[in-house]
Amino acid sequence: MAGQPNCGKSTIFNAVAGFKVNTGNFSGTTVSFTETRVYLGGRTVRLIDLPGTYSISSHDLAEKEARDFLLSGNVDVIINVLDSSILGRSLELTIQLLEMNIPMVMALNMYDESKEKGIDIDLELLNALIGVEAYPVIAVEGTGVRDLFEAALRVAKEQFRPVQPVYDRDVEECIAQISHRYPDAIREALDIDERFVIIRLLEMDEEFEHTVWKIDRDFLQFVIEKRRSLAEIHNWPEAGVFASPPCHRVRSLRAGGPGDPQNRPELQGAYRPLHHQPGRWPGGHRGPLFFMFFVSFLLGDIIAGLIEAPLDAIGQKLVGMTDGIAAVAISGLYDGVVAGVGIVLPYLLPLLVLMAILEDSGLLPRIAFMVDGILHRFGLHGKSAIPIILGYGCNVPAIMAARNMEYERDRVITMLIVPFIACSARTVIILALAGKYLGAAVTTAIYAGNILIALTVSFFLSRLQADPSPGIIMDVPPLRRPYPGLVAKKVWWRLNEFLTFAWPVIAISSLVLAFLAHVGIDRVVNGILAPITTGILNLPDATGITLFLGIFRKELTLLMLNQALGTGDVATILSSAQILVLVVFTVLYIPCIATISTLWKEGGWKVALYSVMLNTTIALVVAGGLAHALKVF
Amino acid sequence: MKPPAHMKKTISDLQRDKPVTLLDMKEGETASILRISGGRHLRARMAGLGIREGTCLRLISAAPFSGPLLVEDTASGARVMIGRGMAASVEVCDQTPS
Repeated sequence: MAGQPNCGKSTIFNAVAGFKVNTGNFSGTTVSFTETRVYLGGRTVRLIDLPGTYSISSHDLAEKEARDFLLSGNVDVIINVLDSSILGRSLELTIQLLEMNIPMVMALNMYDESKEKGIDIDLELLNALIGVEAYPVIAVEGTGVRDLFEAALRVAKEQFRPVQPVYDRDVEECIAQISHRYPDAIREALDIDERFVIIRLLEMDEEFEHTVWKIDRDFLQFVIEKRRSLAEIHNWPEAGVFASPPCHRVRSLRAGGPGDPQNRPELQGAYRPLHHQPGRWPGGHRGPLFFMFFVSFLLGDIIAGLIEAPLDAIGQKLVGMTDGIAAVAISGLYDGVVAGVGIVLPYLLPLLVLMAILEDSGLLPRIAFMVDGILHRFGLHGKSAIPIILGYGCNVPAIMAARNMEYERDRVITMLIVPFIACSARTVIILALAGKYLGAAVTTAIYAGNILIALTVSFFLSRLQADPSPGIIMDVPPLRRPYPGLVAKKVWWRLNEFLTFAWPVIAISSLVLAFLAHVGIDRVVNGILAPITTGILNLPDATGITLFLGIFRKELTLLMLNQALGTGDVATILSSAQILVLVVFTVLYIPCIATISTLWKEGGWKVALYSVMLNTTIALVVAGGLAHALKVF
Repeated sequence: MKPPAHMKKTISDLQRDKPVTLLDMKEGETASILRISGGRHLRARMAGLGIREGTCLRLISAAPFSGPLLVEDTASGARVMIGRGMAASVEVCDQTPS
């Protein structure tokens, strides 16, 4: 399944496979391919969801992955997904896919939206023009998906090849001449359609040039000469031979093709897009973010308040029934279980819902648009805004999302910034500690300070790199109403991760900690960390073990705090200043294990190590400085 | 027909041989792309997003703090944001429909 970014491949995939991959209304939600086995028409087939790619000659990591897979020769049929509301542009990639000469069916996704826009797509004409069956699909509702897959299976079985786009006479002659000299060595080395390779070479595709150069230099030289003369005939720059107007008989398909409103003056009125101006809503671009935290805090507080008392009562009873080592075990385990339900869920759930809505609505690219100018001053650009905002949910997908940045420089800086962003786990800590004990103003200040620190870090990091960022170019999809069903599925999908993985970890850690405390091992860890906790941060040494556990899962710092301090009310042991220092330190210090391993995978061990050192240093400096400053006053 | 005010500027710019780029457009104006000066990476990038010679673009708005430009491909209705650095390499000729 291939197509341009944000055309809904993953949504179709999920409609077939159940909610397995993340979706959202912005380009680059999918950054690596997902495979599933689907039972269709009496047999099991492998269905692969590829990251979106604007064209075959693209350069970012996610797009490269799609390209490599398509060219691997393992594709029986391409399900080419198009956003029918912007059919003209979607056909760009379609033409390149056609040239690959692999059987194909087309899914005209968002068919409802194009109808609303007044675009009437003549399916039969489209079919006649390029010889590919096209099926209207509304992926969010699942409409048309069955027909699409049945057709795909049929086409795959028949190995029915699409009609090749024909260029003008000069280009066709040129292709024929090159084809005549096409070396056998290349034919053997590449399991790729000959005409496709020639066209890629004529379009100055670097990777193909490189491959061909290694096999037959003379041939490449010949192609380059041909390309130059072609460019001269058309009087266009060499790189733009195929973009030049006389070249495009295919263009008729693109610009004058079916459903193009320019060809239909009567539709021009209906064509005015329904979407609003991007950007401005009350409270500026940070508005929705702060609104989100406010809502999740408020809701969280209400839910937490409701369930706290009954849960405590049950706990007291349970502990009262036993004594000795059993009591330690039960209270440890129970604390962990309750901590999951009582502390994390109330804050996590609203945040997940709001993040899902934010992703599905298409607000993210608009935020990127608004903040690009500001981020430029800090050496980043608007595209980094998406990973950064996703980082508020979880750092792991946020670091993965950095893949859609074309330049390594931007990508590395973004990956190093993301761990500074307070993810949902750390948001729980901020809300439960700072929100509860220090008030809304301090909580807001912590978030503002957090952003400021991240931007400052970025500012200095970008100064270390000599070359300036080349700037942003990015698709802005229309705002779409999030589908409640999809939002619910997405929230459940992420909640499930918490329930099945994090929660057991928390419960077991709590149990282990209770035992460690019983035999006194926690004091060893506390003792080792004492220079940091008591020396620099001015905190009780009992916090050492909780900070250590926080490296595994950030929530643990909070949950273990009660356990470690031996109290249900942190304020009785810690002063306000100490709570603040603890929160600030927890937000900034070493990223959790999952984040570190993702950094390693995405950026190499150097980036991971650098990130750990950077975060720890800054956490110590900021929180330590804060601790000493507060001691003075 | 009398050319609109911004056309005058465009014409004088042309006389001075200074290329008119996306940056010279005002909000709401429509223009078609004449030439994209820039490397093949940039070209490939833009082509994928439907920005190539001959494409007709309408400038929707410019982001604050010298942020990117938001343009709409008038044929497809697709919207794309382009940073100013890149926009400077997109030469356009004025085509505000009369």
